Amino acid sequence: MAGSDVRDILDIDNAPEQAFITKDALMNKNQKKVTRKSMDVSFKRPEGMHREVWGLLWTDNKDSPPIIPTDTNQGYKQMKAKIGSSKVRPWKWMPFSNPARKDGAIFYHWRREADEGKDYPFARFNKASFNSFETDAVDVPVYSDLEYQQHLHDESWTRQETDHLFDLCKRFDLRFLIIHDRWDREKFLNRSVEDLKERYYSICNNLTKVYIISHMYTQNNLSKYIISHTCTHKTISQKEEHLIAELKKIELRKKEREKKTQDLQKLITAADSNIDSRRAEKKHNKKKVHQQQKLKEGLPTVEPSGIKFADFKASGVSLRSQRMKLPASIGQKKTKAIEQVLEELGIEYNPMPTEDIVTHFNELRQDIVLLYELKLALATCDYEVESLRHRFETLAPGKTVEPDLIKPDTSTANLEISSTFFNPVLLTPDSPSRQKKLAEAIDVVGTPGTPNIMSPIPFMGIFENDKDGHLSIQVILTVSFSVKNGHTQIKDHCSISQIMTHKDH
Amino acid sequence: MAEVGSEPGGRIKGTTIVKPFVYGNIARYFGKKREEDGHTHQWTVYVKPYKNEDLSGYIKKIHFKLHDSYPNHNRVVTKPPYEVTETGWGEFEVIIKIYFVDPNERPVTVYHLLKLFQSETDIMLGKKSLVVEYYDELVFQDPTVLMHHALTNTRPMSLGTYKHDTDFDERKEKTLNNIVAANKKIRYEIQELNERLKQKKENINKLKEHINKVEDVDLQPDVESVT
Repeated sequence: MAGSDVRDILDIDNAPEQAFITKDALMNKNQKKVTRKSMDVSFKRPEGMHREVWGLLWTDNKDSPPIIPTDTNQGYKQMKAKIGSSKVRPWKWMPFSNPARKDGAIFYHWRREADEGKDYPFARFNKASFNSFETDAVDVPVYSDLEYQQHLHDESWTRQETDHLFDLCKRFDLRFLIIHDRWDREKFLNRSVEDLKERYYSICNNLTKVYIISHMYTQNNLSKYIISHTCTHKTISQKEEHLIAELKKIELRKKEREKKTQDLQKLITAADSNIDSRRAEKKHNKKKVHQQQKLKEGLPTVEPSGIKFADFKASGVSLRSQRMKLPASIGQKKTKAIEQVLEELGIEYNPMPTEDIVTHFNELRQDIVLLYELKLALATCDYEVESLRHRFETLAPGKTVEPDLIKPDTSTANLEISSTFFNPVLLTPDSPSRQKKLAEAIDVVGTPGTPNIMSPIPFMGIFENDKDGHLSIQVILTVSFSVKNGHTQIKDHCSISQIMTHKDH
Repeated sequence: MAEVGSEPGGRIKGTTIVKPFVYGNIARYFGKKREEDGHTHQWTVYVKPYKNEDLSGYIKKIHFKLHDSYPNHNRVVTKPPYEVTETGWGEFEVIIKIYFVDPNERPVTVYHLLKLFQSETDIMLGKKSLVVEYYDELVFQDPTVLMHHALTNTRPMSLGTYKHDTDFDERKEKTLNNIVAANKKIRYEIQELNERLKQKKENINKLKEHINKVEDVDLQPDVESVT
């Protein structure tokens, strides 16, 4: 040590390679003591000394036991930092630009000479939204007036307040503490950080749901959806694109295989029973369509297609609440669907039974059932289109149908409730009894004689909200997603095929 | 009002009289478990009119059927207040059967799940009573003459203001608004869905025509005939 000092003073530069001390050197860590080669001389155990004692002394480092106590190591002493033992690293006043800034302004600061030309080290803390190449960039979604009215309305939040929140979110890149700090307390209620977060993320979730549904239905092509969806969120990365391309390939191959196997099976099992029952119901259907139209004109008439509530025309005393009891003829699936929609709408299952409420409540539930049935019918249609297309393609290979004919359903683009809540029910294998009701609701099955309609398994997905409020979606034949706060990840490809095979049996 | 019929039952046809009422229970925690029988709460289950009127004018008696474990669990109350007060440790369904002055009118049964426990701390500590009550309406369709008379000539029960623990008026309005709004939303969706469905059906038909054409040209024997 002293040697180096002397050398330094005398300006003798004989150790240029270790010009700057490292942390290790400072902490005396890797200063390996030059171990003395243990001599081959083996000391004999003194006569009368116990073997264990000798072992303690001997085996540690084949060294003879010391005669006087030594304390050459650091021991318990304070470590001495060796400051000033190396060359001074010079600092320099130099310009820098922060890549986080858009305007490219140049500032000056002191920096080590060695670091000249390197990036501004604090730039990596920038998570601003404009930086679209960063995968973790913050992106605040936007909503239209219509979207707000249909999906984002909340009792406790006004539109102005929500706009204000989103404005702040954009300005402060979702730093909620700052957003909370800058919250306009004169105009709006004082809200907690948690409130703000809850509102923001629930809107994000709802919007994601709506986007997914609309994209799925307008394109029926999930891969396209992924691209567009991620585009809107500016989080697209090349990796993802690659994945999507891969996915498309898998999808195509799978579809082809499935087509072959399914078509065969359908032709075999596409039961006469189905066709027969359809023929029988065909006659009834015409009538039902009229009712449908009546409904469309907004007449609050009681539709026979929905629920038949007991009418209590007989004389005698009865409880009003009895009149809104669901009749036993309503199946469990329908009851469940009603419950789900009611919950979504925030309406209690047994409201206060005044005359007005009972009438309206019954009407509401009738409409819910109708909606449910329409949804089923639509699924059947989708399925039929699909199968017809297959037929067409097998009949006339090479030729293609006009795209608008086989365009999948665009109906549920804005229908949050119907699509999110009925789909799980749709995915269950169909029973003949259900098909009957379905046909009663509306004429969907078309002419008899189309042999390969088996059951209305739609090419749709399962939507569900898990406990944490994350929206997870499973889409048949394609992928399963986990969408959390607007960040989309592809989870896996395989589980879907399993779901599919279950449906087939 | 419609014509007064004088048929066997003596019913007035085309007349409907509605009598709203409230049923439910209040409960109060002792603060501790009672040594001798393990009971923890005192509760009262009751039926009372929604408006200020004397129920005994048209109600003959009300049966409260308690849990079997209570001594003589069929409690009959013949005059107001129609209520049963007991102590206990558990919740169960009370079957309330309302009998009317005219034996020709069949009794009406209401089921009420006796509620004792709630998470609110004041109630848990026994400082406040728990109130669980529901609104319902008795609908008299074509009442008998006797009954009609009883129903239309009721006396007020008390002179003071008559109030319920639950603000039913407010709830009524809110519920109705909610339901109507929800119905609008559903209607809108139905309309939309219906439109799409029609379109889809057209598409299917077109597609079928296409297939038919192709089939006619090809004259393929192995495909099932399409009419």
